[in-house]
Amino acid sequence: MKLRIPKVLVVGAVAAALMATTGCGGILSGGDENASGDSGPIKIAAVIPLSGSSAPTGTYMKNGMQMAIDEINAKGGVLGRQLQFDPEDEACDPTQAAAAANKAVSNGAVVSVGGYCSGATLPTLPIFAKANIPMIIPAANSQELVNQKLPNVFLINGTGAQQSAAAVKFMAKDGVKSVALVDDNTSYSKDIAAQTKKDLEAAGGIKVALATSVTAGESDYSSVVHDITGANPDMVYWTGYYQEGGLIINQLKAAGFKGKIMVADGSVDASLIEIAGGTSAEGVFATMTQTPDTIKGAETWIADYTKKFGSAPGPYSTQSYDAVRLAAEAITKAGSTDGDKIIAALAAIDGFELFSGPLKFTPEHTLSSGGFQILVVKDGKFTLHDDLS
Amino acid sequence: MTQLLWNGLFVGSFYALIALGYSMVYGIIKLLNFAHGDLYMLGAFIGYAMLSSVGIIPASMSITALLIVLLLTMIISGGIGVGIERLAYRPLRGSPRLAVLITAVGASFTLEYGVSAIAGPNPRVFPVRLQGETFDILGARVSAPQIVLMVIAVLLMLSLNSYIQRTSMGRAMRAIALDPKGSLLMGINVNKVITWTFFIGSALAGAAGVMAGAYYGKIDFLMGFIIGLKAFTAAVIGGIGNIKGAMLGGLLLGLLEAFGSQWLGGEWRDVFTFAVLIAFLTLKPTGLLGERVTERV
Repeated sequence: MKLRIPKVLVVGAVAAALMATTGCGGILSGGDENASGDSGPIKIAAVIPLSGSSAPTGTYMKNGMQMAIDEINAKGGVLGRQLQFDPEDEACDPTQAAAAANKAVSNGAVVSVGGYCSGATLPTLPIFAKANIPMIIPAANSQELVNQKLPNVFLINGTGAQQSAAAVKFMAKDGVKSVALVDDNTSYSKDIAAQTKKDLEAAGGIKVALATSVTAGESDYSSVVHDITGANPDMVYWTGYYQEGGLIINQLKAAGFKGKIMVADGSVDASLIEIAGGTSAEGVFATMTQTPDTIKGAETWIADYTKKFGSAPGPYSTQSYDAVRLAAEAITKAGSTDGDKIIAALAAIDGFELFSGPLKFTPEHTLSSGGFQILVVKDGKFTLHDDLS
Repeated sequence: MTQLLWNGLFVGSFYALIALGYSMVYGIIKLLNFAHGDLYMLGAFIGYAMLSSVGIIPASMSITALLIVLLLTMIISGGIGVGIERLAYRPLRGSPRLAVLITAVGASFTLEYGVSAIAGPNPRVFPVRLQGETFDILGARVSAPQIVLMVIAVLLMLSLNSYIQRTSMGRAMRAIALDPKGSLLMGINVNKVITWTFFIGSALAGAAGVMAGAYYGKIDFLMGFIIGLKAFTAAVIGGIGNIKGAMLGGLLLGLLEAFGSQWLGGEWRDVFTFAVLIAFLTLKPTGLLGERVTERV
């Protein structure tokens, strides 16, 4: 008697598993049929934030992508077919991002070129992987994305590990002796802070005086400010986003903190300087990948962009533009819209010119050099301070 | 040490101002008004709209301008609070407690995403920012704006307290809290008193919103969410329904946060604060100054 009940359960479980796998197979083949249609436009999807607090950056990305799509189409498209752009809003929210990715897959996307907020990009990875759609991620760069080890995922922004390496390099170069690391408890931010701490401890010489977190979405950061002024480090490295970053800079300055402040790329936004108020943000450093302003020889591109969209490009415009160009290149090289062939073509790319330099992916599908540089706030604007080369 | 005390008291006074509204409304109609934190957000946006429409304000006038805006915002956000009560809560007066609670959650989302749709989802920078000298008081850095805001908060709380204790409307509020049916039989216009309660509670939240906007400098449509939860916590610590308890609870919560962060590190602050809350409520479920339920019957 005792044995029979488990048996029934086992049979039931096996049956359920079988049903589930066949069910999945059905969905997969359905997706493939859509994606590998041989005629009509080739669909390029982008899951990016077009509403919510990251909407300004999402718009820079969308415009950059649109510009590349229009240029390629004007030259006759890819494989004799036009590209069709399908941007989907994810509002920097994991739930919305998953829904948007599913929508993009069922719309028959061939390549995905989106991904800004790492936390929202992460759940879209398995969705695109299941449908075997290659992803070229222009901005999101948490180490978590790399750690998934998915063959269809390619990152053309420097990763969290490369960012912390750049931060540590600059700290040493600048003669900083002790550092306070502050994150906002999100995946992206904790990732950089933890990696920086590890790198600093491995390198030695620079002391981590404080490593702490704050709760995002509050207004009063006096407790963390108190901890920082207590530890009195030479530099504070804030790895979260600009909203809290601006407040923390303001409150640090109000508390009489005299040390240096550096922020990570999530805080590189004009609003950071505004929220910090007055001249509080002057002299604040930032680790950032190339922006249109800091790339040599991008002047004509900036002029074209400005003419087309009526406003200047911003962070990640160039990476997004490059993501679409890279997608087109890979489809051309593959000679097909088949996911496997495009992935193979992407992995094999060598020397394709991007704004960040000639491209060759590492075995992990990340850039071989992160391209991080140090910006500084000068006269109310982020300007290039040190390109770390 | 004194710095931690001061930081805690300063944040705590914001919590207290918002907690008052929670506590008053709960005391009178036993409703957890979850839209209350959003009235704080709304107050900040009303203040923002008024100050930006005026144009550039000279620095010497900023305190005066701010006080005028503060008063106007209190009246408007008070009016909005009354409107919410009229539209969303009053029709449900006789319904089960749970239905009204969910309506309150609905009202909260309506306000948040309504503001997001009108003003946009991006954070705004407040047009006037309080800047001023910093002083050294017993080893703590205290800035002039902090003192001004603390004084305003304390004045608001004191005047509310004497209003409740001394005026006939205040007496009516206390009577309804004790026994709504009895008060009705004694000839108290219960609906009018409830309207007033919502007005005062929302006006205080609106005032806190303008003060936060002017001091911290950044406002956005979700700014009321976390602080609303914290204020609710403060109200419960103090004994929900009790005015002095709400003030005390707010200050205590601020202090708990400041010291928790110092002792255990920033990432453990909320864990510490809310663990203390759980422990506290297990030992004394009525809160610091809450009366035992049996006394109410």
